[in-house]
Amino acid sequence: MENGPVTIVEEEGVTHKSPIVIEGLPDVGLVGTIAASYIVDKMDYAKLGYIESELFPPVMVIHEGKLISPFRIYGNEDVVVVLSEIAIPPDAVYPLTTALTDWFSSIGARLVISVSGLPMKNRIDIEKPEVFAIGNNDAAMKKLAAKQIELLQEGFIAGTYAVMLRQCMKRGLSAVSLLAQCFPVYPDPGAAASAIEVLDRFINLGIDVGELMGREEEIKLKARDLMRETALSAPEMQKGVEQDMPIMYR
Amino acid sequence: MSIERRIIKATWGYNGDLEPLSELEDLGDAILVTFDLPRVKKEDVEINLTEDTVELKAKLSESVCWEKWGSIQKRLTFQTFQKQIRLPVHINQKEASASFKNGILRVVMPKLREKVLIHIE
Repeated sequence: MENGPVTIVEEEGVTHKSPIVIEGLPDVGLVGTIAASYIVDKMDYAKLGYIESELFPPVMVIHEGKLISPFRIYGNEDVVVVLSEIAIPPDAVYPLTTALTDWFSSIGARLVISVSGLPMKNRIDIEKPEVFAIGNNDAAMKKLAAKQIELLQEGFIAGTYAVMLRQCMKRGLSAVSLLAQCFPVYPDPGAAASAIEVLDRFINLGIDVGELMGREEEIKLKARDLMRETALSAPEMQKGVEQDMPIMYR
Repeated sequence: MSIERRIIKATWGYNGDLEPLSELEDLGDAILVTFDLPRVKKEDVEINLTEDTVELKAKLSESVCWEKWGSIQKRLTFQTFQKQIRLPVHINQKEASASFKNGILRVVMPKLREKVLIHIE
């Protein structure tokens, strides 16, 4: 499916039954990336396709001698997971979210869930990160209330997931963002584990996050370079605005 | 930055060193530097300060090994984190303090300042 400078390439024979979409693109603490990768691994999801764009860096990934795209889509008929192994260039955010949300509409997605982080300066003192949520319409808000997930009440959000919420809203797609308290510039498997536990209320994945926590140090070691690249693009993504106080007039 | 540095921008060295993720924050009266040090124990961390640098060396409790990886295509083993950071201001090394919790090292270094009281006319 070609959409401006971004193309979603699906494998042949892939079918969808009103899937729930999980989006785990690189952001603060790599919460979404770590969570999405762990889910794909534990659920043994099949590769459904990939995303290509002239706006992405000219990079391919080699896994076990095979050439694959760093921007990939996994899942089954009921679940779609979007993840990336490299940082999203700021210039690609709008075209990418436009193309993805058009594709989500075309496959009849019933809910889009972005998994991301809420950067906390005192994260080191937080034993168990809390997860907050944002919904983009009444239906999404009702879902969050039904799952007893605390809402982010005031503030700014910035980055890919912020645009994703808006693009979904424009297309009448219900979307939520799950934001786990996290280290701003360090990979945070603990935050990803909290996010997965909350995600489980939507999809009943039944995933044990114990193994994720057991591999925490290994994941942090492997994720250093992606974290560094993601942190470098944070100023252009206006991530700093998330720490600002809104003027709060109505 | 040299052309070679732009092409070979690695966060590891052939000598077995890994560059840790780090963050520098100006706290006003002090500079805070944190390092993310997975697989490191407190007793294996060494910090050396000069008036304008902080140098970290930390031994991994279990070495990291990558096989047939990247452009070198051979086995590489890493045993230590190592990094030197140049500070934006001079600091008072003797008043500096450090703590280590859940793999995060925090080094707080008071700024070296001579304060002069100015009278308002």
